[in-house]
Amino acid sequence: MRKFGLPQFAMLLPTQGLLVAIIAVPSAYVLWLSFNESSYGSAPSFVGFANYEAIWNDRYFWRALVNTLVVINIIVYGELLLAFLIAAVFVKGVPFRRLMLAVVLMPYAISEVVAVVIWKYLLDPNVGSLAKAMAGLGLPEIAWATNPTHGLGLVSLISIWLHLPFTFILIYAAMLSVPRELYESARIDGAGGWQSFRHITLPGIMPAVFVALIFRYILAFRLFSEVWLLTSGGPARTTEVLAIYLYKQSFTYASFGKGAATGWVMVMVSGLIAAVYVHLLYRRGFRRDA
Amino acid sequence: MREPLSSVALRTAVVAFVLVWSAAPVFLVVLSSFKETPEIFAYPPSLVFSPTLEHYRTLFQKWPDFVWTLRNSAVIALAATALTVVASVLAGYVYSRYRGRGLAASALFMVAIRLLPPIVITLPLYPVVSALKLADSHFLMVILYSTFFVSLGSLILKTFIDGIPEELDQAATIDGATEMQLLRRVIVPLSAQGMVAASVFVFVYAWNEYLFAFIFTTTRAKTAPVVISEMMGSLTGVDWGLLFAAASVQLVPVVAFVILVQKFLIAGLTAGSVKG
Repeated sequence: MRKFGLPQFAMLLPTQGLLVAIIAVPSAYVLWLSFNESSYGSAPSFVGFANYEAIWNDRYFWRALVNTLVVINIIVYGELLLAFLIAAVFVKGVPFRRLMLAVVLMPYAISEVVAVVIWKYLLDPNVGSLAKAMAGLGLPEIAWATNPTHGLGLVSLISIWLHLPFTFILIYAAMLSVPRELYESARIDGAGGWQSFRHITLPGIMPAVFVALIFRYILAFRLFSEVWLLTSGGPARTTEVLAIYLYKQSFTYASFGKGAATGWVMVMVSGLIAAVYVHLLYRRGFRRDA
Repeated sequence: MREPLSSVALRTAVVAFVLVWSAAPVFLVVLSSFKETPEIFAYPPSLVFSPTLEHYRTLFQKWPDFVWTLRNSAVIALAATALTVVASVLAGYVYSRYRGRGLAASALFMVAIRLLPPIVITLPLYPVVSALKLADSHFLMVILYSTFFVSLGSLILKTFIDGIPEELDQAATIDGATEMQLLRRVIVPLSAQGMVAASVFVFVYAWNEYLFAFIFTTTRAKTAPVVISEMMGSLTGVDWGLLFAAASVQLVPVVAFVILVQKFLIAGLTAGSVKG
């Protein structure tokens, strides 16, 4: 095995340098800032856990936290369910396979801003075809601007729409990699469709499902743009999620210490989820002296 | 062997759902951008109509900075892609060909650190960026976008470089190639697919990103998604035709790109996350 030395260190430098300078150091600074009182034009002063206490006692923080947890669970499991269903059908073969794959992947290319434009339009009672179709069926209007449940529901829907391709690819690829012979021999042994699904497909794709779940939990946890562009957290701060709460504390109310404390809460929660993922990855990937 | 009816029905239902769910909203918006305003309000939406470029004319006349922001998006996305790919090939090569405890730890750091929520770093970066006069600059956006994709890029390139037999490295070294020559002549050409796969992710991300662009750009480096969000917000009584035209100009190139390289998208995602 070749020896790791200065040239190799230099080759890692662009990647590691960016990560350290742009993510690690600023995050460490956020940790320090979270123990200080700070705003525009005033030097930070140490206040211990006061910022954490302040957000702990802030009902808008709890509202944002609960909203985040509810919405990300809807997003992650909604996506998983749809991805599973579509992948299971695609893997058995669909007409115009390449074209249909392109159709499933299409939202991956759409920006959050355009996705919000699209869904706002579809559900607009005056112009939206979907809103008009729903009205025709006697369904109530989606009042995302005034009704927080509808607002967060639409946020979840847009988020699922945008990220379904990601989850789909992971699960579809995993289903494709289950060896065909296993199904053959199961069929010879007299297993039905459900049985081979239960005993061959499911165990075969479990690792991929797990990776997809963790990844989507971490990414969904960042949820910002969809909410910001749709409701900005309103009406009356009822649809805020943690990222919106952080943004408002920091940039609207200029309470940097509380913003930082919120940031560090977010870091710890996603760190917890990430730890599970990294643990698994590490065990399978880099340690193995292949 | 005949397929049972239930399976045919399920397949038809899923195919129909996918078409309506994924494609129909996008097509409707692009199609409607060519409709005259009263036609946009028609229900059910008309598929046959006499097309007009009225909204595109309004877009380029009333929002002259839209073209500028598109140019910014393109410049930033291309530069971020280039930077990410170069950084990822180098790191991917080292992680593929070298082993060591420190190296494993740095790989762990690389994978873990990028999972932090990006919004957390906006708070400390904001004053620093202003002090360094980097706010609202293309350079800053390129750095930010690359940072969040060098990890995935390096993982993808590691996986692809793992697939290049080490005998080729040895042969090149015996022939007297330096490590840089080995990289340029052997590793880079043979991992080209991985480089494309890594590019897809950064490019799409940088072209579409909203949060950083919203916080860190105002005029000079403003990107297309930001100006579209302004069109959506600032108008009293939304001008849907205008919004559709802007959205179409922004989305069509990147949708076409993703469809063109879908094979690499799938290969990259599976290489970057599942195989690890």
